[in-house]
Amino acid sequence: MSIATTAGAPSRSAPSTLSAMLRPLLGLRIVLPFAAVVAIWWAIKWFWQLDDRVLASPAQVATAAIQLANRGILADYAATSLRMMGIAALISALIGVPLGFAIGANRIVARALEGTLRFLQGISGVAWLPLAIIWFGFSDTTKLTVVIYTLVVPIIVNTIVGVRAIPENYVLALQSLGASRLRIMWDVYLPGALPSIVVGLRLGMGYGWRALIAAEMLVRRGGLGDLIFGARTFSQIDRIMVGMVLIGTLYIIVDRLLVQPVETMTLARWGVLRK
Amino acid sequence: MISAPIARLMAGASLIAVILFGQTVYGAATSSTRLDPSLAGATGLSAVVVVLDFTPERFHNERLAAYGVFAGRDGTVGRIRLRNVNPDNLAALGRLAWVSRIEAVRPPAPRAP
Amino acid sequence: MRPPRSAARLRLDRLVWRLLPFSPILIFGAAWSIYWNIAHPPLAVMPSISGMLGAVVELAQSGTLLTDILASLWRLMLGALLGIVMGVMAGFVTGLNKPVATFLNPLLVFFNAISGIVWLPLMIGWVGIGTGLAVFLIWNSVFFIVFQNTVLGVQLVPEVLEQSVRTLGAGRWETIRSVTFPGALPYILNGVRSGLGFGWRALIAAELVGATTGLGQMIFRAADFSRTDIIVAGCLIIGVIAMAMDRWLLLPIERRTVQRWGMVARSEGGPGEGRRA
Repeated sequence: MSIATTAGAPSRSAPSTLSAMLRPLLGLRIVLPFAAVVAIWWAIKWFWQLDDRVLASPAQVATAAIQLANRGILADYAATSLRMMGIAALISALIGVPLGFAIGANRIVARALEGTLRFLQGISGVAWLPLAIIWFGFSDTTKLTVVIYTLVVPIIVNTIVGVRAIPENYVLALQSLGASRLRIMWDVYLPGALPSIVVGLRLGMGYGWRALIAAEMLVRRGGLGDLIFGARTFSQIDRIMVGMVLIGTLYIIVDRLLVQPVETMTLARWGVLRK
Repeated sequence: MISAPIARLMAGASLIAVILFGQTVYGAATSSTRLDPSLAGATGLSAVVVVLDFTPERFHNERLAAYGVFAGRDGTVGRIRLRNVNPDNLAALGRLAWVSRIEAVRPPAPRAP
Repeated sequence: MRPPRSAARLRLDRLVWRLLPFSPILIFGAAWSIYWNIAHPPLAVMPSISGMLGAVVELAQSGTLLTDILASLWRLMLGALLGIVMGVMAGFVTGLNKPVATFLNPLLVFFNAISGIVWLPLMIGWVGIGTGLAVFLIWNSVFFIVFQNTVLGVQLVPEVLEQSVRTLGAGRWETIRSVTFPGALPYILNGVRSGLGFGWRALIAAELVGATTGLGQMIFRAADFSRTDIIVAGCLIIGVIAMAMDRWLLLPIERRTVQRWGMVARSEGGPGEGRRA
């Protein structure tokens, strides 16, 4: 055992040193493009001597970010937006997945609902915002309604795709063994469709995050959309840009560090079923 | 050895946890530094001055109004008077990370004739 | 006795099958009118079906409906066209040039994350309220999706195919025109289709606050006067237009190209293994 480790040591350390050498390079690969953008942005601001109410410099944006953080607004609004998104994603999955199973597994249900679904997909959630405001007031319910409406359709559609890709034999095999419908859903449809469901969730988050920002702009009860739209009233360009950077960053965190790993894991664990 | 997606998932989850709860936890942990000692044992409704080290915005005014009745400024814009603050709300006020101090309202000085 | 009955049964089945897609609308409409006739909600909260249809007729007769639809479609066309052309061109340059692709990738991820409506507050200050604003937001939404898909499509074209055409004496442009472009086309069109989906959403969102005409503004203006009939009618019109665009414009184009050139990725396992990505 000890001999094996010593023998294996050089060959094993080689790739790890290589990756250790590459790691700062990887960081640079991300930092460098943004550094270039910031440099160009600064140059534009400096060259045309643009007014602060037209374009804020990167330094002003950084100052505004610190100020907003000190005043408690930044963390509060970011948390508000994230919480809304999380709740909406959860509810959408709870509605969308069973509905997707029903449509995917049953021709008649599919025929009845698919057209309507496609029609509803064409009406963006934001279009319902004025009606939602009339019904639910300037509240979290309004925001949630719009975001869930936006999120649920991609989840349903992708659940359908996932269920249809499952070989019928699996269902028939379990059926012949006397498994109940619920059992089949749990043991065949859910694992079989999961990779596709996560894809749908990821796509839906892209639409949903934007719908949330738009809803927050109109509802004005906290959240990053409120932050950037409120800053508009006083032409606080620095604040608007802080908000934009944060909106992008949060989306990337959720997409790349939360949903994408889940997607990779489900694909690795259950993805075989699709082929 | 943790697989790459799980490591990323954990990093993402902890980052989001910090964004969601960081400020609240920080505010709760440091609440004793904000509350004036004279308010510590308050039982009934109290009148307080919430001291901010900046000019309050819509966000702050709206939040503060949830804990008591807004009763004007105390000298400068950064000092906000709140009346009818019950003990629970007083504790909650102390947990707000962006509040710098909470003082008792001083009795109005007798006006010189 | 049996054959005619089963034939009738078959015809009935076929009729039911054909009408099935409309059942949700019928059920929903019935539930709506029953509720409306029992509860009599105020018109400012919920319109009746007839009131809503009346609103459509009223808007159509006054001509504002057509003006709003045309304003929206014009913006969508302008923004989408700009986004598609620029996205495809930039996508080709980037896809064929690996260092550029590596350099731009983080920026792409970030700016894609804030594409569309997020720019609204900043852009109101820069270009003001109106067509320019909506066109920018649509362009912004469409560009990044088309760009990403073009890069993907270009990178997925097997290098072997390009090299074989070049050994036959084709120049760089000829290779791009005859191999890379058709190879990447299905991906590009896929990007165009989902890009238009994002663009359509961005348009409605932009028009809610940042325009004086257009379907989004029509709905928003109606909300000011609590005209729920116009709001619901507007939403349905938006849905009809989106569906018509998808069915009669995008789907045929996509189907034709995929039929003609096929998806390149399907030919994996063969010489397609030599990916550049």
